[in-house]
Amino acid sequence: MGIIQRLTSLFIVIFGVLLLTFLLIHLVPGDPVDVMLGESANMADRAALRADLGLNQPLIQQFGHYVAKLMQGDFGQSIHTQTPIVELIKARYPATVKLALLSLLIGIVIGVPLGVFAALKAGHWQDFVVTIVSVRLSAMPAFWLGPVLMLIFAVWLGWLPVSGMDTGTSIILPAITLGFGLSAILTRMTRTSLLEVLNDDYIRTARAKGLSERTVILRHALRAALLPIITIVGLQMGSLLAGTVITETIFSWDGIGRLLVESIEKRDYPVTQACVLIVALSYVLVNLLTDILYRLADPRVRHA
Amino acid sequence: MRFFNVLLLICVLQLSACGLESKHENKHGNSHQPIHFALSQAPLSLDPRVATDAASERVIRLIYQPLVDFDQHFKPSPKLATWQMLSATEYLITLKSPRAAFHNQLPLNATDVKATYDAITQLANSPLSAEYANIQNIVVHDQDRLTFHLKQPDPHFVAKLIIGIMPKPLLEQQHDFARYPVGSGPLAFVEKNNKLILRRVADGQIIALSEVKDPTVRVLKLLRGETDLLQGELPAELVKYLQTKSEVTVKTSVGMNYSYLGLNTQDPVLSKLKVRQAIAHAIDRPALIEKVMVNHTRIAGAILPPEHYAGNASLAAYDYNPALAQQLLREAGVSLPLKLVYKTSTDAQRVRIATILQAQMRPAGIALEIRSLDWGTFFEDVQHGNFQLYGLTWVGIKTPEIYAKAFNTNSVPPNGFNRGRFSDMKLDSLLAKEDWQGATQRIHEQLPYIPLWYEGQFAVLNKKISNYAPKPDGNWDDLATISAYAD
Repeated sequence: MGIIQRLTSLFIVIFGVLLLTFLLIHLVPGDPVDVMLGESANMADRAALRADLGLNQPLIQQFGHYVAKLMQGDFGQSIHTQTPIVELIKARYPATVKLALLSLLIGIVIGVPLGVFAALKAGHWQDFVVTIVSVRLSAMPAFWLGPVLMLIFAVWLGWLPVSGMDTGTSIILPAITLGFGLSAILTRMTRTSLLEVLNDDYIRTARAKGLSERTVILRHALRAALLPIITIVGLQMGSLLAGTVITETIFSWDGIGRLLVESIEKRDYPVTQACVLIVALSYVLVNLLTDILYRLADPRVRHA
Repeated sequence: MRFFNVLLLICVLQLSACGLESKHENKHGNSHQPIHFALSQAPLSLDPRVATDAASERVIRLIYQPLVDFDQHFKPSPKLATWQMLSATEYLITLKSPRAAFHNQLPLNATDVKATYDAITQLANSPLSAEYANIQNIVVHDQDRLTFHLKQPDPHFVAKLIIGIMPKPLLEQQHDFARYPVGSGPLAFVEKNNKLILRRVADGQIIALSEVKDPTVRVLKLLRGETDLLQGELPAELVKYLQTKSEVTVKTSVGMNYSYLGLNTQDPVLSKLKVRQAIAHAIDRPALIEKVMVNHTRIAGAILPPEHYAGNASLAAYDYNPALAQQLLREAGVSLPLKLVYKTSTDAQRVRIATILQAQMRPAGIALEIRSLDWGTFFEDVQHGNFQLYGLTWVGIKTPEIYAKAFNTNSVPPNGFNRGRFSDMKLDSLLAKEDWQGATQRIHEQLPYIPLWYEGQFAVLNKKISNYAPKPDGNWDDLATISAYAD
């Protein structure tokens, strides 16, 4: 697919997300005017505020205004705090990106070598141990693993802060919480993918040529096994950039996920829409990047 | 190898930074360790005209000063000013002297008071506009005196003079008080990023308020020493756990926030008094309090506690009697089991209480279906009468006007808080006469609400913290006097 086609589909996806989010959030019960004014406000005040926020206009008109402002780079203001949404996103999104990148790094650094090791020891006790550990890790939810890590590394050992964003080390525990789950998935994917490749004829040929086992694994087998791993990494990165609400909440990490949930609770429509747009854009761009990496990793895709 | 050395160096620097605690130097040149206070919910707005959430109101009490506060019997008492009732619709307010200036050094005078109350009625998104719509005009006589003229007589008007006073020049400039508050209270705003930083005016002590949603994490932060103070919002088992830890102190006190079950009295089944009585007898309050509530939680009779000047200590609690409940249901002509839907929020403690209520009501022949909804959906359902039963708590209620707002026939939302659409002529008459004893007795008999309890208040402090105690309404006023010893 050419670059123009890719970009066209990107715009269609983003527009679809915008429309769907706009409609869904207006269909959900709960009214920002009720949240802001409470029960005791009279009908006149309610109507005045509704008009002030533009909520008295037909939905299609509200959507039109929203898209028109968006085209000019104006996300609008938070209904509740009157803060420009760009400021909120600027404050929150870098924290999410930082956490996502470190989590991904931890996941890859642990997951890929463990997967290779398990594949090379397939059928042996080491493979069994790695499989058990990875299954256990993937079965640990963040709301359990997070507090356990806090208890061990913050309260008992006193090495790291429990939560917050006060010091540089604050990111370690939330990144490990996310990275462990990711590493478990990558371990299993790398193992499976590598095992398939290791039985292929060209690997047998490479060995018959007298190449060292290290060269056979790293230069031939692992490169061919990379495609499914890249897919998983791309999808996981998209999820991480969408904000991992539970981990961000547990660790008081002020990222986009928490902002999204808070805005939904308060029915702060413009903030919710902006967050969903950013998340959707992240997903689409990461997928685009994944496709590019595919081409670099596999000449068959490049020439297809 | 070089890469790993650099990585190691970064790790060492980061870890060493971890142990560093920022210190703020006060105007006296003394250096204080900041006092860290972990909250379940950060204040949403620091503008007294728009804030409605409990956290915002508690911080606003510390940043701004109101004209009036409440004494131990919840009667209005002078704070920044005294008052004189000139007629049923005229109140002369005299500001006390000397009085604290605003944190931006501007003096506080009567024109600021007028500007503050005028601003409430003029602000489009103020939830308080209706509350103060009865003010006809405000006349300033001099720097210290002003008169409020009302449209209609309001015997409770003085109790409404609790809005924090803001500086007139900043109000005229449309200053963003929600994010950059300027008041004259004991704590001054410093900054708000991921924490709200306040400075005590008297001695420069820094107080940092941070939001930590998860209760377990708040406890871990306290045990780790990352926070010095917690108040409320912890499940009972965590409070009991903390009471076993030597490194912290748990202080408790009675509370006045009233928890109840609301009933839709327009529902064909719940409109029958015997059904409501059956539900009241199907709840084992003492067992519930013992298992899932903190110390000092008291069984409630009316919205206002017995120590309130409009309280009623003679209301006998409904005992747990499943057999009687079944009998009442049969007498009401209800076929058993009676199926009822109970709506609550997604808060873990609320869901837990709902589950226990479900189990307690089963032997009484009531099959309770629990629907746990996100706050926006839940509250909209409650306001619109789209429920059979719901559970909520009245927080910080000080004046007996609440009875008329919650139960008068004409107080159905949006004209009040009569969410259950209760209508009783006799009660309306008692409320009109302000016969609080009679009204609370009638409410207790007619059961538009099933009373549960006044939840006990508690605070958990590091050993280095002193001069702090929880208050019955859960306010944080002691942050004005709290002190911390150096480690």
